[in-house]
Amino acid sequence: MSSEASMLEVDGLSAFYGEARVLDEISFTLHEGSAAIVGRNGMGKTTLCRAIMGITPPDSEGSVLLDGRELGGEPSYVICSAGIGYVPQGRELFPSLTTDEHLRMIGGRLVARGRWDVDAVYGLFPQLARRRRLSGAQLSGGEQQMLAIGRALLTNPRLLLMDEPSEGLAPAIVDELLETCHRLRDEGIGLLVVEQNLGVAGRLADRLLVMVSGRIEHDTHAAELLEDEEAQRRYLGVESMATGEGA
Amino acid sequence: MIRYRGAWTVGTRVVLVLVLLAVALVPAFFSTYFTGAVALKVLWLGLAAASLTFLSGQGGMVSLAQTALFGVGGYITARLMVFEAMSPWLAALIGVGAATAAGLVVGSIASGSRVIYFLMITLAFAVVAYLFFSQVSTFGGHTGINGVFAPAPLDNPTLKPTAVYYVCLACCVVAYLLLRYVGRTPFGLALQAVRDEPARANALGFDVRLHRTLAFALAAAIAGVAGVLATWQTTRISPGTIDVTRTIELLVVAVIGGLYRLEGAWLGAFVYVLLDTYLRGLSGRFETWIGIAFVAIVLLSPGGLAGLLARIDEEVRRPERKRRRRRRRRRAPRLGSALRRTG
Repeated sequence: MSSEASMLEVDGLSAFYGEARVLDEISFTLHEGSAAIVGRNGMGKTTLCRAIMGITPPDSEGSVLLDGRELGGEPSYVICSAGIGYVPQGRELFPSLTTDEHLRMIGGRLVARGRWDVDAVYGLFPQLARRRRLSGAQLSGGEQQMLAIGRALLTNPRLLLMDEPSEGLAPAIVDELLETCHRLRDEGIGLLVVEQNLGVAGRLADRLLVMVSGRIEHDTHAAELLEDEEAQRRYLGVESMATGEGA
Repeated sequence: MIRYRGAWTVGTRVVLVLVLLAVALVPAFFSTYFTGAVALKVLWLGLAAASLTFLSGQGGMVSLAQTALFGVGGYITARLMVFEAMSPWLAALIGVGAATAAGLVVGSIASGSRVIYFLMITLAFAVVAYLFFSQVSTFGGHTGINGVFAPAPLDNPTLKPTAVYYVCLACCVVAYLLLRYVGRTPFGLALQAVRDEPARANALGFDVRLHRTLAFALAAAIAGVAGVLATWQTTRISPGTIDVTRTIELLVVAVIGGLYRLEGAWLGAFVYVLLDTYLRGLSGRFETWIGIAFVAIVLLSPGGLAGLLARIDEEVRRPERKRRRRRRRRRAPRLGSALRRTG
Protein backbone atom coordinates (compact mmCIF):
# COMPACT_ATOMS: atom_id res chain seq x y z
CA MET A 1 0.00 0.00 0.00
CA SER A 2 2.78 2.33 0.88
CA SER A 3 6.07 2.70 -0.89
CA GLU A 4 7.92 3.59 2.32
CA ALA A 5 10.47 1.35 3.96
CA SER A 6 9.15 -1.61 5.88
CA MET A 7 8.14 -1.17 9.49
CA LEU A 8 8.50 -4.77 10.59
CA GLU A 9 10.62 -7.30 8.84
CA VAL A 10 10.67 -10.85 10.12
CA ASP A 11 13.25 -13.08 8.51
CA GLY A 12 13.84 -16.77 9.11
CA LEU A 13 12.22 -16.75 12.54
CA SER A 14 12.10 -20.20 14.12
CA ALA A 15 10.93 -21.13 17.59
CA PHE A 16 11.26 -24.22 19.71
CA TYR A 17 9.63 -25.63 22.79
CA GLY A 18 12.41 -27.92 23.91
CA GLU A 19 13.10 -30.12 20.89
CA ALA A 20 9.83 -29.38 19.13
CA ARG A 21 10.04 -26.85 16.33
CA VAL A 22 6.88 -24.76 16.44
CA LEU A 23 7.81 -21.99 14.03
CA ASP A 24 9.61 -22.92 10.86
CA GLU A 25 11.66 -20.07 9.40
CA ILE A 26 8.88 -17.54 9.18
CA SER A 27 9.52 -14.54 6.97
CA PHE A 28 7.24 -11.65 6.16
CA THR A 29 7.35 -7.90 5.90
CA LEU A 30 4.86 -5.41 7.23
CA HIS A 31 4.80 -1.91 5.72
CA GLU A 32 2.67 0.85 7.17
CA GLY A 33 -0.85 -0.12 8.17
CA SER A 34 -2.15 -3.39 9.42
CA ALA A 35 -2.07 -7.09 8.81
CA ALA A 36 -3.86 -10.00 10.42
CA ILE A 37 -2.51 -13.46 11.05
CA VAL A 38 -5.15 -16.16 10.76
CA GLY A 39 -5.01 -19.89 11.18
CA ARG A 40 -6.45 -22.80 13.05
CA ASN A 41 -5.67 -23.64 16.67
CA GLY A 42 -2.20 -24.93 17.30
CA MET A 43 -0.67 -23.54 14.12
CA GLY A 44 1.78 -21.38 16.10
CA LYS A 45 0.11 -17.97 16.04
CA THR A 46 0.63 -17.19 19.72
CA THR A 47 4.13 -18.64 19.54
CA LEU A 48 4.86 -16.23 16.70
CA CYS A 49 3.75 -13.32 18.88
CA ARG A 50 5.89 -14.49 21.77
CA ALA A 51 8.89 -15.04 19.51
CA ILE A 52 8.60 -11.56 17.98
CA MET A 53 8.24 -10.13 21.48
CA GLY A 54 11.26 -12.03 22.79
CA ILE A 55 9.30 -13.83 25.48
CA THR A 56 10.67 -17.23 26.57
CA PRO A 57 9.57 -19.94 26.21
CA PRO A 58 9.81 -20.56 23.26
CA ASP A 59 13.50 -20.36 22.43
CA SER A 60 13.69 -18.55 19.14
CA GLU A 61 16.23 -17.72 16.50
CA GLY A 62 16.09 -15.54 13.43
CA SER A 63 15.82 -11.89 12.64
CA VAL A 64 13.18 -9.35 13.65
CA LEU A 65 13.76 -5.84 12.31
CA LEU A 66 11.71 -2.90 13.49
CA ASP A 67 12.35 0.18 11.39
CA GLY A 68 15.64 -1.40 10.41
CA ARG A 69 16.77 -2.11 13.96
CA GLU A 70 17.65 -5.72 14.77
CA LEU A 71 15.64 -7.02 17.74
CA GLY A 72 16.16 -10.76 17.35
CA GLY A 73 17.62 -12.22 20.54
CA GLU A 74 16.96 -9.10 22.62
CA PRO A 75 15.10 -9.42 25.94
CA SER A 76 11.48 -8.37 25.73
CA TYR A 77 11.84 -5.14 27.70
CA VAL A 78 14.28 -3.93 25.04
CA ILE A 79 11.85 -4.95 22.30
CA CYS A 80 9.08 -3.06 24.08
CA SER A 81 11.29 0.01 24.43
CA ALA A 82 12.21 -0.26 20.76
CA GLY A 83 8.55 0.21 19.89
CA ILE A 84 6.53 -2.98 19.85
CA GLY A 85 3.53 -2.90 22.18
CA TYR A 86 2.18 -6.29 23.12
CA VAL A 87 -1.46 -7.06 23.92
CA PRO A 88 -1.37 -10.70 25.00
CA GLN A 89 -4.05 -13.29 24.52
CA GLY A 90 -6.54 -13.34 27.37
CA ARG A 91 -5.51 -9.72 28.29
CA GLU A 92 -3.27 -10.98 31.11
CA LEU A 93 -3.78 -8.15 33.53
CA PHE A 94 -1.96 -8.06 36.86
CA PRO A 95 -4.28 -9.52 39.49
CA SER A 96 -3.18 -7.24 42.31
CA LEU A 97 -3.29 -3.89 40.49
CA THR A 98 -6.23 -1.58 39.86
CA THR A 99 -7.08 -0.13 36.46
CA ASP A 100 -5.38 3.12 37.32
CA GLU A 101 -2.29 1.39 38.68
CA HIS A 102 -1.96 -0.64 35.49
CA LEU A 103 -1.62 2.62 33.61
CA ARG A 104 0.41 4.59 36.15
CA MET A 105 3.12 1.97 36.43
CA ILE A 106 4.41 2.24 32.86
CA GLY A 107 7.88 3.74 32.79
CA GLY A 108 8.07 7.52 32.51
CA ARG A 109 10.62 7.42 29.72
CA LEU A 110 8.30 5.39 27.48
CA VAL A 111 5.28 7.53 28.28
CA ALA A 112 7.16 10.75 27.65
CA ARG A 113 8.33 9.82 24.18
CA GLY A 114 4.96 10.02 22.45
CA ARG A 115 1.45 11.31 22.58
CA TRP A 116 0.01 8.50 24.73
CA ASP A 117 -0.12 9.30 28.41
CA VAL A 118 -2.58 8.19 31.07
CA ASP A 119 -5.04 10.98 30.27
CA ALA A 120 -4.93 10.20 26.56
CA VAL A 121 -5.76 6.56 27.28
CA TYR A 122 -8.68 7.59 29.46
CA GLY A 123 -9.72 9.89 26.65
CA LEU A 124 -9.70 6.98 24.23
CA PHE A 125 -11.55 4.70 26.66
CA PRO A 126 -13.78 6.90 28.86
CA GLN A 127 -15.29 3.72 30.27
CA LEU A 128 -11.98 2.86 31.91
CA ALA A 129 -11.82 6.24 33.61
CA ARG A 130 -15.03 5.35 35.42
CA ARG A 131 -13.51 2.08 36.59
CA ARG A 132 -10.11 3.34 37.61
CA ARG A 133 -10.26 2.03 41.17
CA LEU A 134 -11.44 -1.47 40.30
CA SER A 135 -9.02 -4.33 39.98
CA GLY A 136 -8.50 -5.89 36.58
CA ALA A 137 -10.49 -8.99 37.52
CA GLN A 138 -13.59 -6.89 38.26
CA LEU A 139 -13.72 -5.45 34.75
CA SER A 140 -15.85 -6.88 31.96
CA GLY A 141 -14.13 -8.69 29.13
CA GLY A 142 -14.35 -5.63 26.88
CA GLU A 143 -12.97 -3.35 29.55
CA GLN A 144 -10.13 -5.75 30.24
CA GLN A 145 -9.26 -5.66 26.56
CA MET A 146 -9.34 -1.85 26.59
CA LEU A 147 -7.04 -1.83 29.59
CA ALA A 148 -4.62 -4.27 27.95
CA ILE A 149 -4.55 -2.05 24.85
CA GLY A 150 -4.22 1.12 26.91
CA ARG A 151 -1.36 -0.37 28.87
CA ALA A 152 0.45 -1.21 25.63
CA LEU A 153 -0.31 2.22 24.14
CA LEU A 154 1.36 3.94 27.08
CA THR A 155 4.68 2.57 25.92
CA ASN A 156 4.05 4.65 22.78
CA PRO A 157 4.67 1.83 20.35
CA ARG A 158 5.36 2.02 16.66
CA LEU A 159 3.61 -1.31 16.21
CA LEU A 160 0.90 -2.97 18.27
CA LEU A 161 1.08 -6.73 18.40
CA MET A 162 -2.32 -8.08 19.44
CA ASP A 163 -3.05 -11.72 20.16
CA GLU A 164 -6.72 -12.66 19.70
CA PRO A 165 -8.18 -9.36 20.89
CA SER A 166 -11.76 -10.32 20.02
CA GLU A 167 -11.71 -13.59 21.94
CA GLY A 168 -14.67 -13.93 24.28
CA LEU A 169 -16.20 -10.58 23.39
CA ALA A 170 -19.81 -9.93 22.33
CA PRO A 171 -20.31 -8.74 18.72
CA ALA A 172 -21.16 -5.19 19.80
CA ILE A 173 -17.96 -4.99 21.82
CA VAL A 174 -15.98 -6.40 18.92
CA ASP A 175 -17.35 -3.55 16.78
CA GLU A 176 -16.06 -1.03 19.33
CA LEU A 177 -12.72 -2.78 19.35
CA LEU A 178 -12.46 -2.63 15.56
CA GLU A 179 -13.28 1.05 15.62
CA THR A 180 -10.48 1.63 18.12
CA CYS A 181 -8.08 -0.36 15.97
CA HIS A 182 -8.94 1.67 12.88
CA ARG A 183 -8.39 4.87 14.82
CA LEU A 184 -4.98 3.74 15.98
CA ARG A 185 -4.06 2.65 12.47
CA ASP A 186 -5.10 6.04 11.09
CA GLU A 187 -2.80 7.65 13.65
CA GLY A 188 0.07 5.75 12.13
CA ILE A 189 0.48 2.91 14.61
CA GLY A 190 1.12 -0.38 12.84
CA LEU A 191 -1.12 -3.28 13.77
CA LEU A 192 -0.21 -6.92 13.61
CA VAL A 193 -3.17 -8.88 14.90
CA VAL A 194 -3.64 -12.59 15.43
CA GLU A 195 -7.27 -13.38 14.83
CA GLN A 196 -9.11 -16.68 14.78
CA ASN A 197 -12.25 -15.18 13.37
CA LEU A 198 -11.84 -14.64 9.65
CA GLY A 199 -14.67 -12.09 9.48
CA VAL A 200 -13.10 -9.95 12.18
CA ALA A 201 -9.66 -10.37 10.64
CA GLY A 202 -10.98 -9.15 7.29
CA ARG A 203 -12.46 -6.05 8.86
CA LEU A 204 -9.26 -5.36 10.77
CA ALA A 205 -6.82 -5.60 7.95
CA ASP A 206 -6.79 -5.91 4.23
CA ARG A 207 -3.79 -8.14 4.30
CA LEU A 208 -4.07 -11.63 5.74
CA LEU A 209 -1.24 -13.99 6.55
CA VAL A 210 -2.43 -17.57 6.85
CA MET A 211 -0.46 -19.76 9.23
CA VAL A 212 -0.34 -23.52 8.85
CA SER A 213 1.91 -25.71 11.00
CA GLY A 214 4.37 -23.01 11.96
CA ARG A 215 4.68 -21.53 8.49
CA ILE A 216 3.07 -18.68 6.60
CA GLU A 217 1.33 -20.66 3.87
CA HIS A 218 -0.52 -17.89 2.20
CA ASP A 219 -0.08 -14.13 1.98
CA THR A 220 -3.31 -12.78 0.62
CA HIS A 221 -6.04 -10.16 0.67
CA ALA A 222 -9.05 -10.43 2.91
CA ALA A 223 -11.53 -10.10 0.08
CA GLU A 224 -9.82 -12.85 -1.83
CA LEU A 225 -9.80 -15.33 1.01
CA LEU A 226 -13.37 -14.56 2.00
CA GLU A 227 -14.50 -15.52 -1.48
CA ASP A 228 -12.34 -18.58 -1.82
CA GLU A 229 -14.24 -21.26 0.07
CA GLU A 230 -11.82 -23.92 -1.03
CA ALA A 231 -8.88 -22.08 0.50
CA GLN A 232 -10.85 -21.45 3.67
CA ARG A 233 -11.57 -25.15 3.98
CA ARG A 234 -7.96 -25.97 3.40
CA TYR A 235 -6.35 -23.45 5.71
CA LEU A 236 -8.88 -22.68 8.35
CA GLY A 237 -11.38 -25.52 8.49
CA VAL A 238 -14.80 -25.03 7.05
CA GLU A 239 -16.55 -23.85 10.19
CA SER A 240 -14.58 -20.61 10.28
CA MET A 241 -16.69 -19.47 7.33
CA ALA A 242 -19.87 -19.45 9.41
CA THR A 243 -18.34 -17.56 12.35
CA GLY A 244 -16.72 -15.23 9.88
CA GLU A 245 -20.04 -14.23 8.41
CA GLY A 246 -21.63 -13.83 11.84
CA ALA A 247 -19.32 -11.12 13.09
CA MET B 1 -5.10 -12.12 44.82
CA ILE B 2 -2.81 -10.37 47.25
CA ARG B 3 -2.78 -6.65 47.57
CA TYR B 4 0.35 -5.59 49.34
CA ARG B 5 -0.73 -2.05 50.03
CA GLY B 6 -3.73 -1.96 52.33
CA ALA B 7 -5.89 1.06 51.63
CA TRP B 8 -5.87 3.71 54.32
CA THR B 9 -9.46 4.26 55.31
CA VAL B 10 -10.32 6.88 57.92
CA GLY B 11 -10.61 4.11 60.51
CA THR B 12 -7.16 2.78 59.70
CA ARG B 13 -5.71 6.26 59.91
CA VAL B 14 -7.20 6.84 63.35
CA VAL B 15 -5.91 3.48 64.59
CA LEU B 16 -2.43 4.15 63.21
CA VAL B 17 -2.25 7.58 64.84
CA LEU B 18 -3.43 6.13 68.16
CA VAL B 19 -0.86 3.34 67.97
CA LEU B 20 1.88 5.82 67.14
CA LEU B 21 0.81 7.99 70.06
CA ALA B 22 0.86 5.02 72.42
CA VAL B 23 4.28 3.96 71.15
CA ALA B 24 5.58 7.52 71.56
CA LEU B 25 4.41 7.59 75.16
CA VAL B 26 6.13 4.35 76.15
CA PRO B 27 9.18 6.05 77.79
CA ALA B 28 6.87 8.20 79.89
CA PHE B 29 4.70 5.41 81.27
CA PHE B 30 6.89 2.33 81.37
CA SER B 31 9.98 1.45 83.33
CA THR B 32 13.43 2.23 82.06
CA TYR B 33 14.00 -1.49 81.68
CA PHE B 34 10.93 -1.96 79.50
CA THR B 35 11.76 1.03 77.32
CA GLY B 36 15.42 0.16 76.92
CA ALA B 37 15.35 -3.61 76.66
CA VAL B 38 11.91 -4.41 75.25
CA ALA B 39 10.37 -1.49 73.38
CA LEU B 40 13.62 -0.36 71.82
CA LYS B 41 14.34 -3.84 70.54
CA VAL B 42 10.83 -4.06 69.12
CA LEU B 43 11.55 -0.95 67.09
CA TRP B 44 14.81 -2.00 65.49
CA LEU B 45 13.86 -5.64 65.09
CA GLY B 46 10.62 -4.49 63.47
CA LEU B 47 12.60 -2.18 61.19
CA ALA B 48 14.81 -5.06 60.07
CA ALA B 49 11.74 -7.25 59.58
CA ALA B 50 10.05 -4.47 57.59
CA SER B 51 12.85 -4.64 55.02
CA LEU B 52 11.99 -8.32 54.57
CA THR B 53 8.24 -7.66 54.52
CA PHE B 54 8.70 -5.07 51.79
CA LEU B 55 10.86 -7.37 49.67
CA SER B 56 8.61 -10.34 50.06
CA GLY B 57 5.24 -8.58 49.98
CA GLN B 58 5.83 -6.20 47.14
CA GLY B 59 8.67 -7.89 45.32
CA GLY B 60 7.93 -11.55 45.96
CA MET B 61 11.50 -12.02 47.19
CA VAL B 62 11.83 -13.89 50.47
CA SER B 63 15.35 -12.91 51.41
CA LEU B 64 17.47 -14.58 54.06
CA ALA B 65 20.16 -11.94 53.61
CA GLN B 66 18.50 -9.20 55.67
CA THR B 67 20.19 -10.13 58.95
CA ALA B 68 23.58 -10.21 57.23
CA LEU B 69 22.96 -6.80 55.65
CA PHE B 70 21.89 -5.57 59.07
CA GLY B 71 25.25 -6.89 60.26
CA VAL B 72 27.15 -5.07 57.53
CA GLY B 73 25.56 -1.79 58.64
CA GLY B 74 26.26 -2.47 62.31
CA TYR B 75 29.77 -3.82 61.90
CA ILE B 76 31.08 -1.09 59.59
CA THR B 77 29.65 1.60 61.85
CA ALA B 78 31.08 -0.01 64.99
CA ARG B 79 34.50 -0.48 63.40
CA LEU B 80 34.72 3.12 62.21
CA MET B 81 33.53 4.51 65.54
CA VAL B 82 35.66 2.39 67.84
CA PHE B 83 38.88 1.83 65.88
CA GLU B 84 38.97 4.96 63.71
CA ALA B 85 37.28 7.30 66.21
CA MET B 86 35.10 8.59 63.45
CA SER B 87 32.11 10.79 64.12
CA PRO B 88 29.21 8.43 64.95
CA TRP B 89 26.88 10.08 62.46
CA LEU B 90 29.37 9.84 59.61
CA ALA B 91 30.17 6.26 60.64
CA ALA B 92 26.47 5.41 60.61
CA LEU B 93 26.09 6.97 57.17
CA ILE B 94 29.00 4.96 55.83
CA GLY B 95 27.65 1.81 57.50
CA VAL B 96 24.26 2.22 55.85
CA GLY B 97 25.98 3.02 52.56
CA ALA B 98 28.03 -0.17 52.85
CA ALA B 99 24.88 -2.20 53.54
CA THR B 100 23.23 -0.65 50.48
CA ALA B 101 26.24 -1.39 48.31
CA ALA B 102 26.34 -4.98 49.57
CA GLY B 103 22.61 -5.16 48.81
CA LEU B 104 23.23 -3.99 45.26
CA VAL B 105 25.85 -6.67 44.70
CA VAL B 106 23.90 -9.52 46.31
CA GLY B 107 20.70 -8.29 44.67
CA SER B 108 22.23 -8.21 41.22
CA ILE B 109 23.35 -11.83 41.66
CA ALA B 110 20.17 -13.14 43.29
CA SER B 111 17.67 -11.20 41.17
CA GLY B 112 18.00 -13.66 38.31
CA SER B 113 16.60 -16.48 40.42
CA ARG B 114 13.25 -17.07 41.97
CA VAL B 115 11.71 -18.82 44.95
CA ILE B 116 13.93 -21.60 46.35
CA TYR B 117 17.02 -20.58 44.38
CA PHE B 118 16.67 -17.00 45.51
CA LEU B 119 16.34 -18.26 49.07
CA MET B 120 19.50 -20.35 48.73
CA ILE B 121 21.59 -17.54 47.24
CA THR B 122 20.58 -15.12 49.97
CA LEU B 123 21.20 -17.80 52.60
CA ALA B 124 24.67 -18.36 51.14
CA PHE B 125 25.38 -14.66 51.52
CA ALA B 126 24.13 -14.76 55.11
CA VAL B 127 26.53 -17.60 55.94
CA VAL B 128 29.45 -15.96 54.15
CA ALA B 129 28.87 -12.68 55.98
CA TYR B 130 28.68 -14.49 59.32
CA LEU B 131 31.92 -16.39 58.67
CA PHE B 132 33.64 -13.26 57.41
CA PHE B 133 32.82 -11.17 60.46
CA SER B 134 33.61 -13.96 62.89
CA GLN B 135 37.01 -14.79 61.32
CA VAL B 136 38.45 -11.43 60.30
CA SER B 137 40.33 -9.85 63.17
CA THR B 138 39.79 -6.25 62.03
CA PHE B 139 36.17 -6.81 63.02
CA GLY B 140 37.04 -8.33 66.35
CA GLY B 141 36.74 -11.97 65.40
CA HIS B 142 34.66 -14.02 67.81
CA THR B 143 34.41 -11.31 70.43
CA GLY B 144 33.10 -8.72 67.99
CA ILE B 145 33.35 -5.02 68.73
CA ASN B 146 32.46 -3.67 72.18
CA GLY B 147 32.00 -0.22 73.59
CA VAL B 148 30.19 1.30 70.62
CA PHE B 149 28.82 4.39 72.29
CA ALA B 150 26.60 6.67 70.30
CA PRO B 151 27.00 10.43 70.82
CA ALA B 152 25.34 11.95 73.89
CA PRO B 153 22.52 11.89 74.79
CA LEU B 154 22.30 8.51 73.09
CA ASP B 155 25.32 7.07 74.86
CA ASN B 156 23.61 5.33 77.78
CA PRO B 157 20.77 3.22 76.37
CA THR B 158 20.49 1.04 79.47
CA LEU B 159 19.95 3.75 82.06
CA LYS B 160 18.68 6.57 79.85
CA PRO B 161 17.00 4.97 76.87
CA THR B 162 14.56 7.77 76.08
CA ALA B 163 16.70 9.63 73.55
CA VAL B 164 17.74 6.45 71.71
CA TYR B 165 14.15 5.37 71.76
CA TYR B 166 12.95 8.48 69.98
CA VAL B 167 15.72 8.34 67.39
CA CYS B 168 14.74 4.74 66.72
CA LEU B 169 11.07 5.60 66.55
CA ALA B 170 11.75 8.43 64.11
CA CYS B 171 13.76 6.07 61.89
CA CYS B 172 10.92 3.54 61.95
CA VAL B 173 8.28 6.11 61.06
CA VAL B 174 10.38 7.51 58.22
CA ALA B 175 11.15 4.02 56.88
CA TYR B 176 7.50 3.00 57.12
CA LEU B 177 6.30 6.09 55.24
CA LEU B 178 9.10 5.76 52.70
CA LEU B 179 8.31 2.12 51.93
CA ARG B 180 4.61 2.89 51.68
CA TYR B 181 5.34 5.79 49.38
CA VAL B 182 7.62 3.69 47.19
CA GLY B 183 4.85 1.11 46.95
CA ARG B 184 2.64 3.68 45.24
CA THR B 185 5.18 5.08 42.81
CA PRO B 186 5.39 3.65 39.28
CA PHE B 187 8.50 1.82 40.47
CA GLY B 188 6.58 0.14 43.29
CA LEU B 189 3.66 -0.77 41.04
CA ALA B 190 6.04 -2.21 38.47
CA LEU B 191 7.75 -4.18 41.22
CA GLN B 192 4.39 -5.65 42.11
CA ALA B 193 3.73 -6.43 38.47
CA VAL B 194 7.12 -8.13 38.33
CA ARG B 195 6.15 -10.16 41.39
CA ASP B 196 2.81 -11.18 39.84
CA GLU B 197 4.09 -12.05 36.37
CA PRO B 198 7.70 -11.34 35.46
CA ALA B 199 7.28 -12.24 31.78
CA ARG B 200 4.32 -9.89 31.28
CA ALA B 201 6.06 -7.06 33.09
CA ASN B 202 9.13 -7.63 30.95
CA ALA B 203 7.06 -7.31 27.78
CA LEU B 204 5.76 -3.97 29.04
CA GLY B 205 9.25 -2.53 29.05
CA PHE B 206 10.44 -3.35 32.56
CA ASP B 207 13.90 -4.70 33.12
CA VAL B 208 12.87 -7.31 35.67
CA ARG B 209 16.34 -7.91 37.09
CA LEU B 210 17.06 -4.22 37.47
CA HIS B 211 13.80 -3.65 39.32
CA ARG B 212 14.42 -6.54 41.66
CA THR B 213 18.01 -5.42 42.28
CA LEU B 214 17.01 -1.85 43.12
CA ALA B 215 14.29 -3.06 45.48
CA PHE B 216 16.85 -5.32 47.13
CA ALA B 217 19.25 -2.40 47.60
CA LEU B 218 16.50 -0.27 49.14
CA ALA B 219 15.64 -3.05 51.58
CA ALA B 220 19.34 -3.46 52.33
CA ALA B 221 19.57 0.22 53.29
CA ILE B 222 16.66 -0.21 55.71
CA ALA B 223 18.25 -3.33 57.19
CA GLY B 224 21.52 -1.39 57.51
CA VAL B 225 19.81 1.39 59.47
CA ALA B 226 18.31 -1.25 61.77
CA GLY B 227 21.80 -2.71 62.24
CA VAL B 228 23.25 0.66 63.25
CA LEU B 229 20.41 1.29 65.72
CA ALA B 230 20.75 -2.18 67.20
CA THR B 231 24.48 -1.68 67.64
CA TRP B 232 23.89 1.65 69.38
CA GLN B 233 21.27 0.13 71.65
CA THR B 234 23.42 -2.80 72.74
CA THR B 235 26.70 -0.80 72.45
CA ARG B 236 28.29 -3.80 70.78
CA ILE B 237 28.07 -6.17 67.89
CA SER B 238 29.35 -9.73 67.65
CA PRO B 239 29.04 -12.65 65.23
CA GLY B 240 26.25 -14.03 67.42
CA THR B 241 24.13 -11.05 66.35
CA ILE B 242 24.07 -12.18 62.73
CA ASP B 243 24.34 -15.97 62.78
CA VAL B 244 21.87 -18.29 61.10
CA THR B 245 19.74 -18.48 64.23
CA ARG B 246 19.22 -14.71 64.00
CA THR B 247 18.47 -15.03 60.31
CA ILE B 248 15.72 -17.51 61.10
CA GLU B 249 14.54 -15.32 63.97
CA LEU B 250 14.01 -12.42 61.61
CA LEU B 251 12.07 -14.61 59.21
CA VAL B 252 9.91 -15.85 62.09
CA VAL B 253 9.25 -12.27 63.21
CA ALA B 254 8.23 -11.21 59.70
CA VAL B 255 5.99 -14.23 59.14
CA ILE B 256 4.32 -13.93 62.57
CA GLY B 257 3.60 -10.29 61.81
CA GLY B 258 2.41 -10.99 58.29
CA LEU B 259 4.30 -10.64 55.05
CA TYR B 260 1.62 -8.67 53.24
CA ARG B 261 1.42 -5.65 55.47
CA LEU B 262 4.27 -3.41 56.46
CA GLU B 263 2.80 -2.79 59.93
CA GLY B 264 3.01 -6.53 60.50
CA ALA B 265 6.79 -6.33 60.84
CA TRP B 266 6.57 -4.33 64.08
CA LEU B 267 3.60 -6.34 65.28
CA GLY B 268 5.61 -9.52 64.83
CA ALA B 269 8.61 -7.96 66.57
CA PHE B 270 6.40 -6.86 69.45
CA VAL B 271 5.01 -10.34 70.04
CA TYR B 272 8.38 -11.98 69.56
CA VAL B 273 10.29 -9.68 71.91
CA LEU B 274 7.58 -9.93 74.58
CA LEU B 275 7.70 -13.72 74.46
CA ASP B 276 11.47 -13.66 74.31
CA THR B 277 11.77 -11.39 77.34
CA TYR B 278 9.12 -12.77 79.66
CA LEU B 279 8.65 -16.38 78.59
CA ARG B 280 12.33 -17.19 78.68
CA GLY B 281 12.29 -16.51 82.43
CA LEU B 282 9.24 -18.68 83.04
CA SER B 283 10.12 -21.63 80.90
CA GLY B 284 13.38 -23.11 79.79
CA ARG B 285 11.75 -24.17 76.53
CA PHE B 286 11.37 -20.80 74.88
CA GLU B 287 12.17 -22.11 71.39
CA THR B 288 9.45 -24.73 71.71
CA TRP B 289 6.87 -22.15 72.69
CA ILE B 290 7.79 -19.70 69.98
CA GLY B 291 7.74 -22.61 67.51
CA ILE B 292 4.24 -23.59 68.59
CA ALA B 293 3.09 -19.98 68.39
CA PHE B 294 4.63 -19.73 64.92
CA VAL B 295 2.92 -22.86 63.61
CA ALA B 296 -0.41 -21.81 65.14
CA ILE B 297 -0.27 -18.37 63.56
CA VAL B 298 0.76 -19.67 60.14
CA LEU B 299 -2.03 -22.25 60.21
CA LEU B 300 -4.69 -19.85 61.47
CA SER B 301 -3.74 -16.90 59.33
CA PRO B 302 -1.33 -17.10 56.40
CA GLY B 303 -1.25 -13.31 56.50
CA GLY B 304 0.17 -13.39 60.04
CA LEU B 305 -1.11 -11.21 62.87
CA ALA B 306 -1.59 -8.23 60.57
CA GLY B 307 -3.65 -10.40 58.24
CA LEU B 308 -5.67 -11.64 61.21
CA LEU B 309 -6.41 -8.07 62.29
CA ALA B 310 -7.36 -7.12 58.74
CA ARG B 311 -9.73 -10.07 58.61
CA ILE B 312 -11.37 -9.15 61.90
CA ASP B 313 -11.71 -5.60 60.59
CA GLU B 314 -13.37 -6.93 57.46
CA GLU B 315 -15.79 -9.06 59.46
CA VAL B 316 -16.81 -6.01 61.46
CA ARG B 317 -17.45 -3.99 58.32
CA ARG B 318 -19.06 -6.79 56.37
CA PRO B 319 -22.66 -5.44 56.37
CA GLU B 320 -21.47 -2.13 54.97
CA ARG B 321 -19.44 -3.89 52.28
CA LYS B 322 -22.37 -6.01 51.20
CA ARG B 323 -24.60 -3.00 50.79
CA ARG B 324 -22.00 -1.29 48.69
CA ARG B 325 -21.48 -4.33 46.52
CA ARG B 326 -25.19 -4.64 45.88
CA ARG B 327 -25.32 -1.02 44.81
CA ARG B 328 -22.48 -1.57 42.46
CA ARG B 329 -24.18 -4.57 40.91
CA ARG B 330 -27.31 -2.59 40.25
CA ARG B 331 -25.49 -0.13 38.05
CA ALA B 332 -23.37 -2.89 36.63
CA PRO B 333 -22.00 -2.52 33.12
CA ARG B 334 -24.35 -3.33 30.32
CA LEU B 335 -22.16 -6.22 29.27
CA GLY B 336 -23.59 -9.32 30.88
CA SER B 337 -21.74 -11.61 33.20
CA ALA B 338 -21.26 -14.06 30.34
CA LEU B 339 -18.57 -11.76 29.02
CA ARG B 340 -16.85 -11.45 32.33
CA ARG B 341 -13.45 -13.02 32.32
CA THR B 342 -11.53 -13.39 35.47
CA GLY B 343 -7.96 -12.85 34.51
